[in-house]
Formats: sequence, C-alpha cells, structure tokens
Amino acid sequence: MAERSGQQHPIKLFSYTTRYFWLLIIPILRSLYSLSFSVDALRVWLAGTWFDLIVIATILAFAWLRLVSVTYSFNQERIIVRRGIFINAEDLIYYREISTLSIKRNIIYKIVGASKVYIGTNAGIFDRADITLVMKRSDADCLYGCVMNSRARTINYSVSPNRLRLFIFSIISSSTLSGAIVALAFVIEVSRLIDRELEARLIMDALNEFAARMSAIVPPITAGISAVIALSWLISFVTNLFYFWNYILTKSPDSIYVKSGLIAKNGHIIRLDRINFIDLRQNLSAKLFRISSLHCQCSGYGSTGRSELSVVLPITTSNEIKGAIQEVFPEYPNPEIQLKPSLRSFPGFYFWPVILAILPLAAYALISLIFPGWKTIAEAALLIAEVPAVWLAVVKTVAIFTTGIGFSDGHLVMKYAKRYGFHTVISPKDRITKIVIRQSVPQHIGGSCTAIIYTASDKKVRHIIYGLRLDKALSFFDRQGFDLYYSENPLQ
Amino acid sequence: MRKYRPKTTALLIINIAVILLCTGLTVVTRIYLVSFRILMILLIALFWAAAVLFCCVLLPLYFRRTVVYVSGIELCLHTGIFFWRREYMRMSAVQYVTSVSLPLSGFSGFNFIFVRGLGGTLVLPFLRSADCDDIINLIHIKITERQ
Repeated sequence: MAERSGQQHPIKLFSYTTRYFWLLIIPILRSLYSLSFSVDALRVWLAGTWFDLIVIATILAFAWLRLVSVTYSFNQERIIVRRGIFINAEDLIYYREISTLSIKRNIIYKIVGASKVYIGTNAGIFDRADITLVMKRSDADCLYGCVMNSRARTINYSVSPNRLRLFIFSIISSSTLSGAIVALAFVIEVSRLIDRELEARLIMDALNEFAARMSAIVPPITAGISAVIALSWLISFVTNLFYFWNYILTKSPDSIYVKSGLIAKNGHIIRLDRINFIDLRQNLSAKLFRISSLHCQCSGYGSTGRSELSVVLPITTSNEIKGAIQEVFPEYPNPEIQLKPSLRSFPGFYFWPVILAILPLAAYALISLIFPGWKTIAEAALLIAEVPAVWLAVVKTVAIFTTGIGFSDGHLVMKYAKRYGFHTVISPKDRITKIVIRQSVPQHIGGSCTAIIYTASDKKVRHIIYGLRLDKALSFFDRQGFDLYYSENPLQ
Repeated sequence: MRKYRPKTTALLIINIAVILLCTGLTVVTRIYLVSFRILMILLIALFWAAAVLFCCVLLPLYFRRTVVYVSGIELCLHTGIFFWRREYMRMSAVQYVTSVSLPLSGFSGFNFIFVRGLGGTLVLPFLRSADCDDIINLIHIKITERQ
C-alpha cells in the first residue's frame, strides 16, 4: 500500500475552539435574527457587534491553525504524526510497538464521516492514549486494516455474547457513580451550548414537576435522593448497554480484536503480550448468580472515554470461565489460591462497614440534638445512608471466604474485594512491579498482615489482599523469588 | 546483599527544626492570644506535646526501623511508624531512578532516591551521599545490563 497522508477531519475544529465559544455566538446570532433584513439594519448590527465578531474570528482562526498544524501519514508498518506551526514535533510509532489501537465513532462523527483514533503504547506514563487523532472514516478504517495486517492473521477464537447476556452484564456493571459522572459530563457539555440561566430553569422546572408528583406518595427528601440514585444508575445502564451491544471478540495468536456499539461504533486491537493482567470482576449479585466479566489491563485500553470499561468478555458463567481463559489467554492458569486470610483477621474486614455505619448515625444524633424539627427528614436520610454500610458488610463477609493469593505457572493469582466488587486478578510474575507487606498495630499483635501488590501499568494499580498470616505470606513470596528479607531484624 | 540505614544527622536536624518551629509558634501564640489565657496555654502545651512525641518517639522509631537492602536482584525497604511496611521491588521492574538531594546533603543526609517502576515507586529516604551514589550506580549497572 502506498503511504497515506492526511489532515484531521474538520469536525476537530470545534473541539479546538475555546470552552465558552458558543456563549459568544448565541447572543450575536439572536440579535441578528431579531433584526429585519435590510442593509441599514445590518449596518446597525455590525456597529454593535464588531468587537465580538473579531473575537469569534480570532478564536476560529486559532482553531483552524491548530487543525492544519496536525498532519499524519501512515503505511504498512508505521504511523507518523506531525504537530506544530513554528516548532515542529514528529511522533513515529511502529505498529509492532502499539499496545492498543482504538477507533471510536459516535453519532455525530458517524454523520460527518469521522472517527476518533487512540494509539496507546507502553511508553506512556499517564493513563491515557499516547496519540489521539480525529481522522476521516476511510483513513481510520485503512489504519485499522494496516495494524491488523501487521499482526498474525490466523483466527483462533471468536465469541459474541447473546443479547440477554449483554443486558444482564449492563445491569450488573452499571453503577450510580458512573451514571452520575456521565450525567454531570452531559450537563457540562450542555452548558457550553446553551445559556446557563436557561439550563438552570429547564432543570429546575423538571425537578419541581417531578417533586410535586412524588410528594403525594413519599417524603420529598426521600423521593429526591431516590430519584437521583435511580436516574444515575439508569444512565450508567443505558450507556453500558449501548456501548457493548453487538459485542464481538476475535483472537489471533498475538492480538485480540474487539468490536462493539449500538449507535456509537468502537473497535480495538489489543496486543496480547502487552497485557499486564487479567481481572475477573463480579459484584454481589453476579457472585450469587455465578457470573462474571473478564477484563484486562493493557496500555490504552479502557482509558479512552468516560466510564469506559476494559472488558474482554462482558459476561460469562463460572462453568465457562476456565474454558474462556484458556481460549483467549492460553498461557494464564486457572485462578486457584493457596493462601487465605487468618481467622484472627476477620474483624478487620468490617472496619470500613462499621465506619460507614457510624458516620450517618453520628450525623443523625447531631441533627436531632441541634435541629429537632428536622428529625423526620434525618430519619429518612439515615435509613438511606445505612444501606451502603449494610451492603458493604455483606460484601466483606463474602470476601472473608473468597480472599486469597496463589501462584501457578509463573503467574500470581490474587482474589480480593475492592469496595463493592470482587476481583480475581491473574498477572504474570514479570509484571509484578512492587510488593508491600503492611502491618497495622492490631495486625502486628495478631500476627497477620496486608499484602499490597503493584502490577505494571501506566497508572498506579494496587491489589490489596487483607488478613494473611504474616509468616505464611512472607514464606509464600520467598518461595516465588520475592525475598522481603523477613529474617533480617530491622532493629538490629 | 548490601544494607543501608538512614543517616542519623537528618534526625538531629529535623529535631532542631521542630524545636525552632515550636518556639516560633509559642512566641506567636503568646503575642496574639495573650488575652485568651487558657486557650493560649492549651495551644502552647499542645504544640510542645506534639513536638516531644514527634522528636522523642515517632522520628527515632522511624529512623530505627528503616533499613534498605539492595542486591543485584532486588531492592527492599523495611520501614514504618504506625504501620510496619516491608516493600520489595525487583531490579528488572525498575524503569528509572530520581535522586533528590537538598543543599549540604553530604552533611545532613537529606538524600532521597525515588526508584520508579512501571506502576509503582519505591522511596529510599535519608541516605548518606556515598550510599546514595552506591545505590544509583548499582541500579544503573543493572538497567544497562538489561539493554
């Protein structure tokens, strides 16, 4: 293939303009629209807005300069990206060095024929793609084909979860927090386009109407909190469902190819030998139904968008998981653990649930004491605030029996609970960056410890396994070649 | 395996700095809170109690417990005050090293090494200048051998 060169798609011009650019344009257009179309009226309009128009023209000129200053060219083995007007910078990346190539096309990009391209390598030190470009769709597809051609061509395995499974996955992987983040991002995006006052009025009108209808059934404060939680969760659910719809995973000997998306289309090429660890994730309900989703950590994958997940298999049952790991990651062993938490460390698992339970209680007692009139509202808020604490206590109870660490076939297996989720992480031994054995005072007395394992990544990734017996943990790591000099006494 | 301990001169300098800080705070409190006698006494007592705890218990304990073990294969740090920590990093995981030395660090021992691995950092504190050079040289040799 001949070298293909090009400039970024003109749609990128909009993201190069300043943040509140639209706030300048809207009043100008509004005043123009309100005028009768005559030469005199136009002259009056120009006399009133000439300075604003110069500002807009300057912003657009700078955006256009930024757009034309970024060019790219690629062939069968590498891509070159050039930036700058006065000072030129050039990035050259060979396809064999690319850990993850992601191509995304949201609904606006689909309409204008553009694609967003993310290129991630192991050279980055921050959790984001090394190169981000907005290309013409044909160029992006051509680049995807070039990178694909640079990899092994035989296909070993292909899987596409059915829609019911994707639906269930979207339910279990949706969280109120990620929904709230998406909603917040949406509000910020909207605030760039419309007047703040109008935005506030729209939101307040909607909330007032909703509150008026609900107040007949439940107390307004309870309804308000519940509505925010439910709406945030629903946004997260819809985002996940749309993102993972039509999910197809294909595996070749050296790479995995992922395609998904209902409206927005996403494609990823992930190099297998660059994967730092795989992670089987479950929440409590998924654990009860014995289902889990398989994720992987690779530079550039799962870090190219808000609330994006680094999924390899969106949902799989416990019976299928061993087969799935063997098919997709044949070098990775079955996740079996050899070292479990000691009996003495069990109370420590409830530290955070207890703190989470005490804080709302203290706040309730304080409010009842200072503002007795607010007691009813405080009771409702207390009830809602205690739910996460109870839920966390249940999760931690399950974690007592599932937490542990193991080693087989050159891979470290770590099972632990983090917040409300359960993780089973399998990482090659050479991807273990750092090990910390930590003991608090109660742990020192009880002879237990917390193992904190850092795995290779472009961000800090820690796996915390709580409650292991100190002597067993030290000798376990020693057997695997991680000498923590435990026989040395620091006090000598 | 080589064993390194923090330079105790650093402990002495920190203790002097804490005492000076406490004296300064006492003077400021005495000037500005003289009309609130009880509050003034309470605050001054609090400053000095914290200083005594810091200088006589916590810092000596930290310096006593901190040991760095370095071999051709790994780096290991034993440290901690409230938490006992044993930190381990393989030489093969080291990407690069940042060393931070304050003025007069040859005398004071304010030499720190930040050993950067992909996804984690090991901080080796309060080293003697010679120890600092020794560790950095060894890590550089190991990185060069790898390439």
